[in-house]
Amino acid sequence: MSPRAEPAPRRIAILGNPNAGKSTLFNALTGLRQKVGNYPGVTVEKKTGFCDLPSGRRAEVIDLPGSYSLQPASPDEMIVRDVLLGLQSDTPPPDLIVFVVDATNLDRHLYLALQVIELGRPLLLVLNMMDLAHARGQRMDERALERALGVPVVGISAAKGDGIAQLRELMDRDVEPSTRHFRQFPPYLQRVLDRLEHRLPRHATLPDRARHDLAVAMLLDNGEDDALASHVPPEALDDARTVARRLDEMSPGWRADDVAGRYEEISALLAESVVAPGERGDRRRDAIDRVLTHRVHGPLIFVVLMGAVFQSVFAWSLPAMNLIDLAVTRIGTIVGHAMPDGALRSLLVDGVIAGVGTTLTFVPQIAILFFFLCVLEDSGYMARAAFIMDRVMGKVGLSGRSFIPLMSSFACAIPGIMATRSIDNRRDRFTTIMIAPFMSCSARLPVYALLIGAFVPNRWVGFVTLPGITLFAMYFLGIVAAVVIAFALKRTVLRGGRPLYVMELPPYRMPSWRSVLITVRERSLLFLQKAGTVILAISVVLWFLASYPKGGEAVRALELQRAVAVVSGDSVQAHTLERQIAGAALEHSFAGQAGRFIEPSIAPLGFDWRIGIGLITSLAAREVMVSTMATVFNLGNVDNNVQPLRQSLREATDARTGARAYTPLAGVSLMVFYVLACQCMSTLAVVRRETNSWRWPIFMLVMMNALAWLASFAVFQGGKLLGFGA
Amino acid sequence: MNAAPRNDAAAERALDTLSSGERGVIAALDCEPSVARRLMELGLVPGTEIVVIRRAPLGDPLEVSVRGVRLSLRRSEARRIHVAPR
Repeated sequence: MSPRAEPAPRRIAILGNPNAGKSTLFNALTGLRQKVGNYPGVTVEKKTGFCDLPSGRRAEVIDLPGSYSLQPASPDEMIVRDVLLGLQSDTPPPDLIVFVVDATNLDRHLYLALQVIELGRPLLLVLNMMDLAHARGQRMDERALERALGVPVVGISAAKGDGIAQLRELMDRDVEPSTRHFRQFPPYLQRVLDRLEHRLPRHATLPDRARHDLAVAMLLDNGEDDALASHVPPEALDDARTVARRLDEMSPGWRADDVAGRYEEISALLAESVVAPGERGDRRRDAIDRVLTHRVHGPLIFVVLMGAVFQSVFAWSLPAMNLIDLAVTRIGTIVGHAMPDGALRSLLVDGVIAGVGTTLTFVPQIAILFFFLCVLEDSGYMARAAFIMDRVMGKVGLSGRSFIPLMSSFACAIPGIMATRSIDNRRDRFTTIMIAPFMSCSARLPVYALLIGAFVPNRWVGFVTLPGITLFAMYFLGIVAAVVIAFALKRTVLRGGRPLYVMELPPYRMPSWRSVLITVRERSLLFLQKAGTVILAISVVLWFLASYPKGGEAVRALELQRAVAVVSGDSVQAHTLERQIAGAALEHSFAGQAGRFIEPSIAPLGFDWRIGIGLITSLAAREVMVSTMATVFNLGNVDNNVQPLRQSLREATDARTGARAYTPLAGVSLMVFYVLACQCMSTLAVVRRETNSWRWPIFMLVMMNALAWLASFAVFQGGKLLGFGA
Repeated sequence: MNAAPRNDAAAERALDTLSSGERGVIAALDCEPSVARRLMELGLVPGTEIVVIRRAPLGDPLEVSVRGVRLSLRRSEARRIHVAPR
C-alpha cells in the first residue's frame, strides 16, 4: 500500500420514477466514464460510472432502474429494493441516495420518494426539469419542502445542465438521514407486521432497518417476488401467506390501505410547499397527440416513420458496411503479403481478420438503429408507438412494447433483441427475444434472391410476379411462425399471471443529444465486447472446419495440372483449375465431410451434401451460403454476378444417378428452411448475453431447427405427393 | 349500469364506458388485490379525479389523466375501475 492511498470513492445511487430524467442526470454527471453489466443471476442491467466531486474526491455513481414503488412488481424494482435494503450482496447500500423527481409532477413522484426517505439513509431530493416548471409559472418553497421531508432539496435541469454544479457540491457533503416517518399503516396491520418482523432471524447479513421492510414485502407478496425466498426463512414466508389469506377474508382492500394514506400525506406536504401550482401545460402535448395518435393519421405517421427509420438503417449502414468490408479485405491483403504462405497466415487472414470484419459489419446497423430508437424513446414517441400497436400485439399475448424490437429484426435480429430492453415485463421480453429471429433479416435476402432466381420462373400472375409473391410468402411465413411460437410460449414455459399493462405516456421532450450519443456508443461497445468475442471465436472455428484437413488426392491431382498449365502459359486453364482446387479442398475439409455426414438427415428435405456444406458455413452468417455454393460449384468469387451460380444450381446433377440434383420444389424447401432455422451464431451469442443464461439460446437453437426441418420436410414430401416433385 | 346493489353505486360507471374528454372520480378498484395496489401506487386512489383523454386508434387501450400523469390502460383493466360522476 502506498502511504497516500486514495480514499474509497463515495458510493452514490441515482433513483427515481421512470421518466424522471435519471439517465440524463447520470450521463451529465459521469459522461463517458460508464460501464454496463448485469446484476448477478438476473437480466437487470447494472449501470455504474465515475465522477469527480469538488473536493477532489471520487464518486462511484450507480444508476438504479426506474421504479414506482418499494413493493416490487418487476425484477427491476426487486433489485432496487434489495440494493436499498442492503440485501444485494454485490452492491452494498449507497453512502448517499440522489432521488430524482419530475418537478412538474411532484404528486406521483413523491410516492416512492417518501418510501425511500423512510429507510433513514442519507438522501438528496433533486427536483429535475425546473426550467419547465418555471416556464409554467410553478413556484415552490424549496425550504418548506426540506423542512417537511427532513432532507436537502435542490432544483436542477439535467437536460440543460442547470444546477449540476450545485448538486455536485451537495453530493460532496455529509448528509444527515431523515428521521421522518410517513407510513400510515392502520394499527391492525402494524400489529401483524411487528409479529412477522419477529419471525425474521437476527443476523449480520440482515440489517435491522431491512427487517421491517421485509415484513411488509412478505405480507404483500403474491408469489411473484423471486428474490424474497432467498432473504427470509421459508417458515416465515408461509406464516405471512397464511396471515395474508386471513386478512383477504376479513378486510378486503387491506393491501392498498397504506397507499391512500401516503397520497394524503403528499397532498398535505405539497399544500405547504407549492406557492403557485402553475398551469398544467398539457396544451402542447395534446396538440401533438391529436396528430400522432389520431385514429387515421396516427397509424399512418407511425408506418411512415418506421419505414423511414428502417430504410435509413438499411441505406445508411450500407456504405459504412462496405467501407468496413473494404478496409478488412485491404488489411487482409497487406497482412497476407507480409507473411509467408502457411497455416498461420491463413488463420490470421481468413479466420481472425475475417471474423473481426464480420463482427464490425454489425456495428453500423446497431449504432444507427439505436440512434433512432433512443431519439424516439427520449422524445416520448416510443410510448405512443406502443399505445398505437398495443391492440395488435395483444392478440398474441404481448404488448405494444414488443412491436419495435420485432420490426427492427427485419434488418437484423441482433439489434432487435438488444432493443427488447424497453419491455418491462420479463415474460413478454423473453417471448419477444425468442420470436425475433423469425423475422426475415437482411442476411437472408441474398439467399432468397439466389434461390428465387434459380428456381422460380419469372411469370406474371395477375398484377404481380411469381418471384415477388414467393419473396413476400417467405417474409410472411416468418411472421406466421413468430405468432404461433409466441402463442405457444405464452401458454407454456412463459405462462404467468395476467400482467398489468399500464404504461406512462410521458410529455414530449427534446432529446438530449449528448445522452443519445452516449447511449449509441454504449450499445455498440457492449455488442463488441460481449457478443463480438463470441462471434470472433465462432469465425475462427468455422475457418478451421472449412480449411482442414488439407490435401486429399483430388486436390493434389488438380494442383499438379495447374502447375503444368502455369508452366505452359495457359492462364485461363490455370484460373479454372484454381477454382476447382478451392472446390475440391472445401469438399475434403471437415466442413465438406460434415456436409456428407449430415446428408442422410437433410435428404428427405430435398438437399444433398453440397447444400449441407452451405448450411454449415451459414452458421457464421446466412449470406455466406451464397459464396460457399459458389466455391462448391467451382465458380470462384461471384459477388458481382450470381447468374452463373443460379444456372449451376439448376443444372447440378446427382453424381450417382445423373439426375437433376435440385428440383424447384427443393429450392422452395430450402428457402423455407432458411426462413425458420436458427443458423446465426451471432444471434445466439446476443441471446445468451440478454437472457443471462445458456438455457434460452440452446432452446432457441433446438426449437427453431426442429421447426425448420419439419416444415421443409412437409413442403418437400408433401409437394412430391401432390406432383410438384418434377 | 343497471340493477346496482348499492344506492350510491347507481351513478357509478366502469371507466371504459366514459367517452373521450369525460371526467369522473375514482370510486372503487374491483381488481385482483396486487393489481389494485399497483394502480393505486400509480395514483389511481379512490377519491381522485380521472379523465379519459382518448382511445388508441384501434379502440384499446385508453389514455387517462390522473394526478397530472398520463397513463395507458387496457380496457380489460379499465372495466374494473368504477368511477362516480363529479
